[in-house]
Amino acid sequence: MVEILAYALASALYLGYLFTARGPVTRVARAALSVGVAAQLSDIGLRCVAGQNPVSSTPEAVALVAFLIACGTLVAGLRYKLTAAGAFSVPASLTLLVLARVVPADPGTPRFGSLGMAHVLLATLGVAVFAFAAVLAVLYLVEEGRLRRRRFDRVGREAPLATLDRLALRCVSIGFPVFTVALLTGAIWIARLGGIASPEARRPEYLIAVAAWMAFGALLVARVGAGWRGRRAAWLTLGGFGGTLLVLFFYILRYAV
Amino acid sequence: MPGGIDFLVMGLSHRTAPLVVRERLAVAPDQIIETVRGLAKLPAVREVALLSTCNRVEVYIASPDPDAAIASLRQDLAERAGAEESELGSHLYVRVDVEAVHHLFRVASSLDSQVVGEPQILGQVKQAHDSAIAAGVAGPVLGACFTGAFRIARRVRRETEIARNPVSLSSVAIDYARKIFEGFTGRTVLLVGAGKMADLAARALRGQGAELVITNRTAERAAELAARIGGRVHSFEDLAGALVRADIVIASTGARQPVLTRDLVARALRKRRGRPLFLIDIAVPRDVEAGCAELSDVFVADIDDLQKQADQHRNGRRGEADRAEAMVEGEVARFLEAYRGRRVGPTITALRGHVLSISRGEAERALSSPPLASIGERERRGVLDLAEAIAKKLLHGPQVVLKRGGADPVDGAALVATVQRLFELEVAEPAATTAAVLPAEAETDAPSADKVVGR
Repeated sequence: MVEILAYALASALYLGYLFTARGPVTRVARAALSVGVAAQLSDIGLRCVAGQNPVSSTPEAVALVAFLIACGTLVAGLRYKLTAAGAFSVPASLTLLVLARVVPADPGTPRFGSLGMAHVLLATLGVAVFAFAAVLAVLYLVEEGRLRRRRFDRVGREAPLATLDRLALRCVSIGFPVFTVALLTGAIWIARLGGIASPEARRPEYLIAVAAWMAFGALLVARVGAGWRGRRAAWLTLGGFGGTLLVLFFYILRYAV
Repeated sequence: MPGGIDFLVMGLSHRTAPLVVRERLAVAPDQIIETVRGLAKLPAVREVALLSTCNRVEVYIASPDPDAAIASLRQDLAERAGAEESELGSHLYVRVDVEAVHHLFRVASSLDSQVVGEPQILGQVKQAHDSAIAAGVAGPVLGACFTGAFRIARRVRRETEIARNPVSLSSVAIDYARKIFEGFTGRTVLLVGAGKMADLAARALRGQGAELVITNRTAERAAELAARIGGRVHSFEDLAGALVRADIVIASTGARQPVLTRDLVARALRKRRGRPLFLIDIAVPRDVEAGCAELSDVFVADIDDLQKQADQHRNGRRGEADRAEAMVEGEVARFLEAYRGRRVGPTITALRGHVLSISRGEAERALSSPPLASIGERERRGVLDLAEAIAKKLLHGPQVVLKRGGADPVDGAALVATVQRLFELEVAEPAATTAAVLPAEAETDAPSADKVVGR
């Protein structure tokens, strides 16, 4: 509960920062977020002790994504002067955490096997890193829009566009291999459960996951191979992340219903 | 409040005179030395410095007779401007004594500038003083006042945010570029046209590691500019090719039609693969076609954008300026104190040394003779302390009177002389009229003791 309240407060503060670009807000927002991260960390610890590790079920994994994004926000703010990223990442964290908590814990759900847990862990990490790439992409588009519209006053003392672009690329290059292995373990898992032919294997989210993977793959080829950057790269990152997000929602939906 | 400083300033600035008047009095940099030598020959003028910038022409003078100096200077300036005294008079301002010091401090701190906080003025004030030294017309009074001015200017710069956000167009443009690029090392800056404004921004970018490429319709001017600011020339016919490689473009041609058309930029974009392109258009009429701003990954800033941003920063500086004004006030007060201290300081130090050495000598003599020779260490201390205390008590009154009276230019000198005669003090130099006013001393609050032979 504490972490939800802290994330909510931090969200409001970071959004406030985005629109006012006032320095003092930053410190309070960072403090609130730190409280949330600490609270969630102890919560995850407690759950682990109780036998529910963070990748043992869908809601736990979603909560873990929220946690990782929140941690990333703290790092980004301190290391790269990317305070404005919090305006997008912390609300995302909050939404995911709330989703994870409102979904009723279903004791009847079979626990994942070790292959399943490996898949969930990798997918979680991949989604978290992609989420950050997406946040950077949004930030890029927002800042870029402000610069284009010549709203210099609104452009705070943030990292320059080139930094946003570079870090987003770094996130995607880290996330992509992780996500690739996650897809592979997922495929093997499905094959073990019932095979490709089973109705279980014909869910739309699997197709979306593959589509998202392809989007990120295309993005990497364009960026690393052909040196593409800027606006289009940002939009492609968002597209890829939209796909992974959709997959995540399908999972939660399926779990809840 | 009279400070007893034989210092005055006469001049005109953007606040009192329009450009047409200012330019009539303005002195070219290579004429300054000759001009101050001429001014130094005026009656009652002892030391002269001339500050001539686009916003002000000011003559700083040390004179034992300010009224006479002002009169002769007024006439001289009118002659130089080719105007009647009365005509020029309404634009001229005069400040004397402390007011003049205050004025100089404000000018050097960039508080009187058209653009408050602009950094060039301090260099110009330094140049004015250096020229006066080079011409041999500077002296202790100018030295003290200008040194004080440099000091407060540096303090204001360091301790306030007056110069934090840029207000000059070229620095606003660079600030803007900083929001797009991570530093300028290895970035390519393309100068289209050879305007003066482009020059400034380009130099600054080059200083931060950017590579300059210059293109201009007339190749000779491009080559000339390239040689001057350090860059290479690219043919104007291949503007599109240059655009593909550039990161920042500074356009300042005198062309009537846009040079960077939407078509041209769009063609270059195809080969840029989303690399951001920043077009800075400082030409009037504009060089960058309006449609360019709609292109993907292209950022455009024209002179109005830069001006608007500069104005905003300027407003932000006003608040800081109030703080800076208060600092200047404080510094003037300190300066005055130090200046007065310098006049009476050596005398006070000599007086103290004289009286204290007598009292100590007498006490020690008494302690070494029979009745007191046998007393213990504690009692000895007591006697020595007593002697010193009496001497200090006696010194207090004269010191206060000297410090206060020293401020007066006429009576002060007489007072100092009287004290020196009464106590037969040998003071190294009568401070008020010589080089006792040295830069290093401006840093200390207390009168310095090491220049004094106390007796």
